[in-house]
Amino acid sequence: MKKTVLLLSIFSFTFAQDSLEELKRQLEEQKRLIRELEKKIEALEKQKLEAKEEVKEEQKPAPADRTLQLRAKYDERLKAFQIYPFRQTAFLPDISLIVDTSFVARNKNDQEFKGLEIPGLYHKHEGHGHGHGNLNEKRGFNLNYAELYLYAPVDPYFDLYATIPFSEDGSEVEEAYAVTRGLPFGFQFKVGKFRSSFGRLNAQHPHVWDFANPPLVYKVFLGDDGLKEKGIQLNWLAPTPFYLLFGMEVLQGENEQSFGTEGFKVNTKKDGSGTYITVVDTKKPNLYVGFVKTSFDVGNLSVLTGLSFATGHTRINHLEGDDPHAFAGKTKLYGFDLTAKYMIDSYRYISFQGEYLYRDQKGTKYEYDSAGDLETAELKKKQGGFYSQVVWRFAQRWRVGFQYNLINKNDVKENGVKKNLPDNLPAYYAMLEYNPTEFSRIRFQVGQNRAFFQDGSRKTVNEFILQFNFAIGAHGAHPF
Amino acid sequence: MRALAVLLLLFSISLAQLKVVATYPWIGELVKEIGKDRVSLYVIARGTEDPHFVVPKPSHIAKMRDADLLIAQGASLEVGFLPPLLQQSSNPKIQPGRQGFLDLSQFVELIEKPVNISRAMGDVHPEGNPHYPLDPHNIPPLARAIAERLCQLDSPNCAYYRGNLEDFLKRWNARLTEWDREFAKLKGIKVIQYHKLYDYLLQRYGMVLVGTLEPLPGIPPTGKHIEALISQAQGVKFILQDVYHEKRTAQFVAQRLNAKVVILPHDVGAVPEAKDLFSLFDEILRRLSQ
Repeated sequence: MKKTVLLLSIFSFTFAQDSLEELKRQLEEQKRLIRELEKKIEALEKQKLEAKEEVKEEQKPAPADRTLQLRAKYDERLKAFQIYPFRQTAFLPDISLIVDTSFVARNKNDQEFKGLEIPGLYHKHEGHGHGHGNLNEKRGFNLNYAELYLYAPVDPYFDLYATIPFSEDGSEVEEAYAVTRGLPFGFQFKVGKFRSSFGRLNAQHPHVWDFANPPLVYKVFLGDDGLKEKGIQLNWLAPTPFYLLFGMEVLQGENEQSFGTEGFKVNTKKDGSGTYITVVDTKKPNLYVGFVKTSFDVGNLSVLTGLSFATGHTRINHLEGDDPHAFAGKTKLYGFDLTAKYMIDSYRYISFQGEYLYRDQKGTKYEYDSAGDLETAELKKKQGGFYSQVVWRFAQRWRVGFQYNLINKNDVKENGVKKNLPDNLPAYYAMLEYNPTEFSRIRFQVGQNRAFFQDGSRKTVNEFILQFNFAIGAHGAHPF
Repeated sequence: MRALAVLLLLFSISLAQLKVVATYPWIGELVKEIGKDRVSLYVIARGTEDPHFVVPKPSHIAKMRDADLLIAQGASLEVGFLPPLLQQSSNPKIQPGRQGFLDLSQFVELIEKPVNISRAMGDVHPEGNPHYPLDPHNIPPLARAIAERLCQLDSPNCAYYRGNLEDFLKRWNARLTEWDREFAKLKGIKVIQYHKLYDYLLQRYGMVLVGTLEPLPGIPPTGKHIEALISQAQGVKFILQDVYHEKRTAQFVAQRLNAKVVILPHDVGAVPEAKDLFSLFDEILRRLSQ
């Protein structure tokens, strides 16, 4: 048995010896192969590198001495790179600046123009605390605004927007608000100061308007700046196959034309020798807004329409100045808007847009008679009007448009007696725009406003505006 | 009772379907190939539209509200319409940074990435040229990305999506060999294009771009630029024209250079013959081979 084992082991050893030789030979062979392959790869890599360098050279010329450059970079980093490792510039928000400037020619000088009023609806008064004047206010050159716009997500839960228009006289925070990013079931919540979603045009920034000035109905019911308020908005996008949005807002309600929160004291004598009547502040917040908007498409036609409602208390205090007067009461505003845009192709469209606004205001008016005694009267205003406009983008860079404004209801009753106020207050504007890109715009606008009065007689205002608008920086696209 | 059961069944079916919104038709075609009947699809832009200037209609917002997945071409091509739509959609699932937002430009190598950028250079995208779907070799990784994302969102149907993907890739790769062979015949021909829209196709198959009719991206042709282009260009065979821009300039240049205007579809649906992704490239090849 032992013998056999020994024999076997010897046999296997010799066999192993044999196979060892064989293995060695194979290994040599392999090594040779690898060497060959290595050579090939080296050659290939060299080729590739050369090719790459060639490409690079085509793109931009290489610096004269690359090693020197690299060494300089390395040394530099050794020295200074760690001075500020907490740099957060990657989190810089989108920043843009929008500049709007215009040349205005008008048949009324600035003093006359400022003194004009719209009976029962609008008059200029001093000191309403703005950082800027109205758009295209003066004859000659105007710098309407240089508006700083900031946007960035705050965190996974909120987006933040801020609009800060600068003028020559100062700046104001026009908008600063946060919007939720992740509420379920189609809800969205907004908090801060923002343009109310009442109506169609109100929520849009002036630089996306189709005309240089706000429509007449906006000017008289919402003021030259529109309805911009501190507060909250909750909106809900309904789970319908078409667009259906419901929203409500609770706002402070400080609008100078229709609302206001601050109470005032009125003296029974104009010269201040009488006793004071106190009108208290409204409850705050003061303004409630509701809206519903819907949209549908018919082929290339997109229709967007909405109903809006706003209700709040009113405090208008114009007691300072030559003609002191004040008003305290309640105001309801109703709005209907319709936009229909027909897309001809990628660049051309015809768009119709119109809004009807109606105001129902009730309250007490404080005024002095010719003898300087205070007169209070119960005032009821039912007023309404609209604008409607057609804009045709007839080429990629060109747009032309016409806007018709009319205030056709101006019922004002003082102590139940109807005042005889004009109720046919039109204004017409036509514009031609050249937009070199989406970041610049040159607009020619001509218009006639027949809504202004002075001392009971109509003063027709004719104006020509050449407007320039530029946007730089990171500015988001605009909604429909 | 039976009605209720049917209603419940219908409801559960509609629930079972993953809701996908795609920005452009070609993306929609990939979704159809991979998701088939297990996804419901809504496509925002039309193939005949300029992909840079899609109108952010409110009707799109309604479709995005309930979407589980939004697939975008990316590279800032949608910057003019998608951000406001996303903001107004009130849908947290499809916001960038969430699983329901898929940017396909992340899966391909973009060319012509500018080193320095300024708006003085026209409509230049900081990420590079965004018109990458016109290289047919870019399609397979994108199909795979879509299938994988569908898997993540809808794991019970994962095997189904992967099966469809393999089937699609098999058919696509077969055609790819054919296209490579046929397009190779066009190697070296000189072309002018309106916008830098076909660069990926030209680069893939070695066609030579002599210039663009636009002086800068997004800036319409000017007389001066066209004259300069005509004086430099020699031996140009085709003027490649997209379906949405004006065609007079192309015709004028073609006449002067004795070249031919070829209207090339850039997306599915741009021309009636481009019915899906396969016929899109077939049609491009056919029009270039005339």
